[in-house]
Amino acid sequence: MSFSDVLFAFTEWLRTTPLVETALSISEHPLSLLIASHFWAIPIIQTLHILALAAAFGSVLMINLHILGLTGKSRTLTQTVKRFQPWIWWSLAVLVVTGIGMIIGEPIRELINPIFWIKMGLVIALVLLSLWYNAALSRNMVQWDMTLRARAGVRFGAIGLILLWCAIMFAGRWIAYAPV
Amino acid sequence: MILGHLWESLQASSLGTYIAESAWAFPTIESLHVIAIVTVVGTVAVMDLRLLGLTSRDYAVTVMSRDTLTWTWLGFTLAAITGLLLFISKATNYMANPYFLAKMAMLILAGLNMAVFHLITWRTVKEWDTSPIMPTGAKIAGALSLFFWLLVIFFGRTIGFTLGIYE
Repeated sequence: MSFSDVLFAFTEWLRTTPLVETALSISEHPLSLLIASHFWAIPIIQTLHILALAAAFGSVLMINLHILGLTGKSRTLTQTVKRFQPWIWWSLAVLVVTGIGMIIGEPIRELINPIFWIKMGLVIALVLLSLWYNAALSRNMVQWDMTLRARAGVRFGAIGLILLWCAIMFAGRWIAYAPV
Repeated sequence: MILGHLWESLQASSLGTYIAESAWAFPTIESLHVIAIVTVVGTVAVMDLRLLGLTSRDYAVTVMSRDTLTWTWLGFTLAAITGLLLFISKATNYMANPYFLAKMAMLILAGLNMAVFHLITWRTVKEWDTSPIMPTGAKIAGALSLFFWLLVIFFGRTIGFTLGIYE
């Protein structure tokens, strides 16, 4: 069974769930009709989504590349985290709001889409992993600041978070190409 | 027109037709293009906000530039390569699309803005490197950069909605 077969089977299953009813009722909501009747609505929401992504991913890179010793060498980890961490969470809030906007505008394209749900799974994994990683970092940040990079687990976490963000962006673009 | 022939032959090339016809090539290259652009704009914005004096005021401008610029250029290189690959799959359609042309114009303006900043404003950087107050030239460069890159993203996204309209 190839990966695209799995996606087709996933779509078939989604079509048997109450999500179809949900998607249809969202599509009849005045807000959905408003978005659907304005050509520029979806491109503008998507632009805001990508701008928020740029703010988030730029900050993710500055923190995690610092941990890997690839940037920000004149700063401490504490300074770098303090500067960039809030931007990640605020951007994530904008990503959620604009993401909901896209679901309201095109509910069937999103909710009956296997790649959309794969992306949502990855987003939840990312949020949980980030919270756990941040908690571990902040408990040890001051004493680790100088020796942090030496720890393989910490480096592995930094690379993992960057790759997980990339995987989510990949899935995000593929939503448009899923077999719906 | 000679250029018109160039776009047609690019599109008819084996690489161009492969990307256009393959089920996975275009979406995969496009995904990498998004990751690359987000890297460019994300790191550029960190520098622009510093130039505007809005964030990282305790972070020397020269240090901020060094910390971000490598990653901006890496992202830009990947964006240019993936962008070129997407372009050759439908070169004539892109060249007929006003939003594609507007995106290219914004890229050129963003590049000129960066060149002017580095060749002129940057000469006096030692005087304001660690200052919380930025000179007007630096503020204008930061604001224009954010504006041009916002429009690069907006026009870029719009291409996807209008590619079939213009032939």
